[in-house]
Amino acid sequence: MSAAQSRPELVLSPQPGESPFAAYKLGAPYDEMFAADGTVRPHYAALAERLANLPPEELLRRQQACETSFLHQGITFTVYSDKQATERIFPADLFPRIVTASEWAKIEAGLTQRIAALNLFLKDIYTDGRVLKDGLIPRSMIYGSKHYRREMRGLPVPHDAYVNVCGSDLVRNESGEYVVLEDNLRVPSGVSYMLANRDVVRRAFPSLFRSQGVRPVDQYPRELLATLRALTPVREDVSIAVLTPGVFNSAYFEHAFLARQMGVELVEGRDLLVNDNVVYTRTTSGLKRIDVIYRRIDDDFVDPLIFRDDSALGVSGLFNAYRAGNVMIANALGTGVADDKAVYAYVPRLIRYYLSEEPILNNVETFLCREPKSLSYVLANLDKLVVKAVGESGGYGMLVGMHASKAEREAFAEMVKADPENYIAQPTIQLSTAPTFVDGRVEPRHVDLRPFILHADKTVIVPGALTRVALRRGSLVVNSSQGGGSKDTWVLSN
Amino acid sequence: MFYSVRHITRFRYSSPVRESVMEIRMQPRSEGPQMLRSFQISTNPRSQLYAYTDHFGNAVYHFNVLKEHAELRIEAQAVIEIARFQLPPIALDLLEWERFNNYNLTHDHFDLLEPSKFALPSPALAAFMTEKNLAKPEGDPLTALGYLNTTINQAFDYESGVTQADSPIEHALTGKRGVCQDFAHIMIAIARSWGIPARYVSGYLYHRPKTQDRSGPDATHAWVECYLPSLGWVGFDPTNNILADERHIRAAVGRDYADVPPTRGTFKGVAASELAIAVSVEPTQAPVRHEDFLRVARPMATPAPTPSMPQHLYHQQQQQQQ
Repeated sequence: MSAAQSRPELVLSPQPGESPFAAYKLGAPYDEMFAADGTVRPHYAALAERLANLPPEELLRRQQACETSFLHQGITFTVYSDKQATERIFPADLFPRIVTASEWAKIEAGLTQRIAALNLFLKDIYTDGRVLKDGLIPRSMIYGSKHYRREMRGLPVPHDAYVNVCGSDLVRNESGEYVVLEDNLRVPSGVSYMLANRDVVRRAFPSLFRSQGVRPVDQYPRELLATLRALTPVREDVSIAVLTPGVFNSAYFEHAFLARQMGVELVEGRDLLVNDNVVYTRTTSGLKRIDVIYRRIDDDFVDPLIFRDDSALGVSGLFNAYRAGNVMIANALGTGVADDKAVYAYVPRLIRYYLSEEPILNNVETFLCREPKSLSYVLANLDKLVVKAVGESGGYGMLVGMHASKAEREAFAEMVKADPENYIAQPTIQLSTAPTFVDGRVEPRHVDLRPFILHADKTVIVPGALTRVALRRGSLVVNSSQGGGSKDTWVLSN
Repeated sequence: MFYSVRHITRFRYSSPVRESVMEIRMQPRSEGPQMLRSFQISTNPRSQLYAYTDHFGNAVYHFNVLKEHAELRIEAQAVIEIARFQLPPIALDLLEWERFNNYNLTHDHFDLLEPSKFALPSPALAAFMTEKNLAKPEGDPLTALGYLNTTINQAFDYESGVTQADSPIEHALTGKRGVCQDFAHIMIAIARSWGIPARYVSGYLYHRPKTQDRSGPDATHAWVECYLPSLGWVGFDPTNNILADERHIRAAVGRDYADVPPTRGTFKGVAASELAIAVSVEPTQAPVRHEDFLRVARPMATPAPTPSMPQHLYHQQQQQQQ
């Protein structure tokens, strides 16, 4: 790779016969495929060999086939900008991201542990509040959260499972360790891309796929259905529905996809009604009772009688039917309180508190300014850290130290000193890179990893994930709305 | 003291609506000196009523009407007993402030110290507090709350119609007039700013024929309860410049009005709705106790059980004879 590193920045499309990796430049971040010395990591060897034997035109052809397939399947998402909504395909990259069996075993164990602790935490704050009485978490952080639903207090949920579907975002830091960046406990999306990417990439590299021992992911809809069924005591003719905000939602494709794959109804709020505390869907042959709702709408919109009264997406009376146990809702309401920035910082402690175990997966290092030791560290290293106000969102009350002027940093330091409880700080993380097909060449791009965790009577993590890619060179933003793409994720069986 | 409360709510729609769903918080609470003796509620069109207890301990009824209707009527009737009331002392000692501790300021009372939807700090509130010298008091909290109660009573005119049930307190603060809800919300916001847990009480007031209550006799009422460590919850009625006593019938408590509206509902259809409410609170006789009601007991001519007769058979035969 040293030869490659001395090449000029701009390289035209490779000539026939040239390795597609000729222009691949390794930087400081951990690379998924290449070790720091430029050698190919063993689990990527087969892919490297396959690519070396493919002419660049062939690669390009396969990448195009891949994109066409997405377009034909209608796998799109919506970008909202200036009142105009545009449907785009979510760019899928040809090269799979490969995860070894041992890496996956750790991820699986870590996420299983994490969701167990988060569910115990949710149960606790909606019942006894032991964690608050013990002073581990300040009350203001919970009761002050707009996602804390007082209506859920004392309400039992099946198997004490508040979060039934979780998408956790993991990143690899410079040393190659997987750390958790964020838990998505409300209505995480993206699993349909995990399944669609697999479909397409498997066809692009059929023999490689077969020889690698890649663990399957196509059982996800079946596992999701089993998770939803486990929530209701009804055993025969269980009636399940996916509740979507509607066709204008950016993830509508996924809602329709999952409903079709599970063989259940796809409904909007206006299709449902509540009569005598029971939820029904209107069908051409009359009303049909619904036992379980997999809702893909936010808490606020679920029931205009209880939550936002201007909600046109929800069903009036739904929450009382839920309270009475006549319908189950996944995820339970009020789970968002456990996935905000502030609580995130406490998750390792919650794991120790509820499970008496050490966290298997670490958080991104987070300094709580309420702790004097952390505070002095943060104040001394403001230029290297990202400081965030815990109660705020949308970038308000945030300082990116390395991009701020000295005066800005000093002003911010005063704010932090005045109210340290309100601030946390994190180092800037360099996400790992993975080879990505860009303009006919292979270049390193930053990636994250979002596995999906199902949890009801047991925890199931389908061995796969959505790998999101920041397609712009150097960018660390993997969101689909910000020029992100995705990759198939191959979890190897050994 | 026994009261009979009748509370009728009628919604009329300009054109028929359907799929009405409604929650009702009207059932008087049973706690402290107040005891609920009977409660009936019915709707027209008729519906099946369901109930649950919300996280404040309020009884909530709810129902739905599927078919089209142009009018919806809810009638609630309650008999309440209120035991002789022990009014709090005139004042407490200055150490009362120190009795607020980590426990009684956090556990159940945390929410009642934070601003809430209708009890929000604002420039208008700050100006009112400055004008009336309502900064956190030096003296004991009970005296201060009494002063606050009187100050609010005297600073505002009682006038219905100028504010809505869901008006922010700014309307009352700038217009210097309002109704019981507004006064309660202002008092709650100020008490909380002093560090005293305060909650909103929705209920009914018995207007004695000759009392000079400002609140109207034909409406629901609202007042405030403040938590003092040595007394517990003490009720203040800033609308009438009195402490809550045995004339105040408590139906529901919450952070503010938003937690405890007597009715909250949705319907489908495009229609303007008109709301009419009638309330009457009358003293009543003690309801006849079961023992008295059942006093015409007939002696039963039951043969004594033979020793061989199984006990359950004996009971069964007894029942058949009744």
